Amino acid sequence: MGKRLCVVGLSLCLFFLPFIAIGAEPIKVGIVLPLTGDQAKFGEIEKQSFDLAFEEINNAGGVNGRPIQALIEDDTGRPEVGRSVVEKLITKDKVVMVGGGYSSSVTYAVAGVCQQNQIPFLINTGSADEITAQGWDYVFRLNQPASEYASGMESLLTEVVKPKSVAILHENSLFGTSSAKSFEATAKKLNIEVVMKEGYEHGGIDFKPVLIKVKDKNPDLLYMVSYVMDAALLMKQSMELKLTPKLFVGGAAGFTLPEFVQNAGKASEKVISATLWHQVLPYPGAKEYYEKFVKKYNKDTEYHGAQAYAAAYVIADVLKRAKSLKPADIKEALSQTNMMTVFGPVRFISYGKMINQNKLPTYVVQWIDGKLELVWPKDLATKPLVYPVNWLKEWGYQ
Amino acid sequence: MLVFIQTIASGILIGGVYALIGLGMTLIMGVMGIINLAHGQLMMVAMYITFVLFTHLGLDPYICIFITMPSLFLLGIVIQKYLLNPLIKVESILPENQVLMTVGIGMVLTEIARFIFTSNYVSIKTPYAAKAIFLKNISLNLPMCIAFLIAVFFTLLLFWFLLKTDTGRAIRATAQDKEAALLMGINTPRITYLTFGIGSALVALAGTILLPIYYLFPDIGGPFTLKAFVITILGGLGSTIGAIVGGVILGIAESLGATYVAMGYREAIGFVIFVLVLIFLPGGLKSITKV
Repeated sequence: MGKRLCVVGLSLCLFFLPFIAIGAEPIKVGIVLPLTGDQAKFGEIEKQSFDLAFEEINNAGGVNGRPIQALIEDDTGRPEVGRSVVEKLITKDKVVMVGGGYSSSVTYAVAGVCQQNQIPFLINTGSADEITAQGWDYVFRLNQPASEYASGMESLLTEVVKPKSVAILHENSLFGTSSAKSFEATAKKLNIEVVMKEGYEHGGIDFKPVLIKVKDKNPDLLYMVSYVMDAALLMKQSMELKLTPKLFVGGAAGFTLPEFVQNAGKASEKVISATLWHQVLPYPGAKEYYEKFVKKYNKDTEYHGAQAYAAAYVIADVLKRAKSLKPADIKEALSQTNMMTVFGPVRFISYGKMINQNKLPTYVVQWIDGKLELVWPKDLATKPLVYPVNWLKEWGYQ
Repeated sequence: MLVFIQTIASGILIGGVYALIGLGMTLIMGVMGIINLAHGQLMMVAMYITFVLFTHLGLDPYICIFITMPSLFLLGIVIQKYLLNPLIKVESILPENQVLMTVGIGMVLTEIARFIFTSNYVSIKTPYAAKAIFLKNISLNLPMCIAFLIAVFFTLLLFWFLLKTDTGRAIRATAQDKEAALLMGINTPRITYLTFGIGSALVALAGTILLPIYYLFPDIGGPFTLKAFVITILGGLGSTIGAIVGGVILGIAESLGATYVAMGYREAIGFVIFVLVLIFLPGGLKSITKV
């Protein structure tokens, strides 16, 4: 009898043990991402990476014994929705800090709300320069600002391609215009003539009128800033028009997602793009993160995912170091961050007009045989840059 | 010059699809005297049917026409017979309560689609989606050309139907004078729901042939309802020829605007035309063509 009681007692203990360990009240963190709408693919890859990271963090004991509970809200890619979901997270769910932030327009709106309510906001993707140039001390940014997306490309342009002219097409959103403006400045600095710079309204069926204009100007480079559906349509229709600049260059965002190659097919081949991260970079854990992601979700990941994964670890680190869970203390801990992540070193500094901004280099990738390969800088490259490209052959016309 | 010709060519091709969308709306307008503000949403329904058939059964979108058109024809009849016709008898403060009803139907359709398919953008990939035909240096997208030819074919079919068949004549008679048609022994309630069915089938056709070129999400209907509205006003309310010409004009104007003004103002062009027509040609093209 006593033996049986003992067994029952023991198994009860075993059963409740995990609950005792993580029985402590979870720390609520709000994450704002586009889970539906045209930016849903970006939101999906980031949500999966956040889930992966928080699971690991909580399995390893969470923050001083308390697990992190991530409340992921859908901003649908619209600033007004972003505003209302973050207001709900702050007032109703009482989150201690906010993370996420995909499109610049939404991130800008969310950052405004966080600053007003004095809740720390760690941005991991929204990149328009303006966001960290408002003097908002509760807003921190992990990723590179839009004006630096193409900085890793400058040496490639001056050393290899040596273009004389460039045409810039961009979505007329906050991210699109901000990126286009800074690439225009880069082009001027490198003595590349900007023959055309034009914004387009998202969701066009037919980009041919604008592409034929590009063809008429015959630039050496075509630089495009687009989200994924437009990026695919732009490349497909360039192929139909036999538009052949020396290089097609994407300004990150839509041009690095696996969905780009799925939607554009062979029109995506040999397109280069700026990128903020690649799994072969010599950061501790980068390769492991890539492999874990592929194993768990059975699909590729890229820089957006790495940003989210790194952000989760920064959040955990900050919450561990913070004196208390009061917003002011978390903010203090954020500003003292100095850690290594899969996305690179994270330290929030002020430079230019920006404050609380992490400074990281950018890179260049190229779609080679349907795979995203790092091609620049040369010493890190996984495959040599394919240049010059015979586009007509690539597209099956020859 | 090449730029100009390419621009016009792209405009005409997309204009063919616009004409189909406008035709459906103008038919309904002619017979019932109401603007169907769920028009784009009906197109969205047809596109989702095509999408499901393509992804689950592997049916080619052009074969799906034979499924989407009859289904939307039936849906149109149901909407007219059970949702719109009963409203004629109801007294209300606003005389246009049928129009308000179509707005509601549009919203319901959009939200049902969002419930089933979420707000994600989807597209279908056919082997010929990015094929192009070259005439000298002018590039014409193959699915766009097919869409244009199908649009022309069904437009001709519609004209034959309206001009040569008894039902077609009855529709025209009802459009001209409902009470006189009733006196001549035409079953006008039947004609109204038949017309709504035909209008829905036409926009279903437009949606189905647009899908290989474009992509799809639940909110796609709104912009196309607006386009159809612009075309209907431009063509002159109820004028079928006006709708065809209006559709092509809108396509060309959008293309020219994108090339010579700015791509960002593409959508604005349609509304500039809309306002100009209302001010200077209130009867639309109908006041010139008289049909």
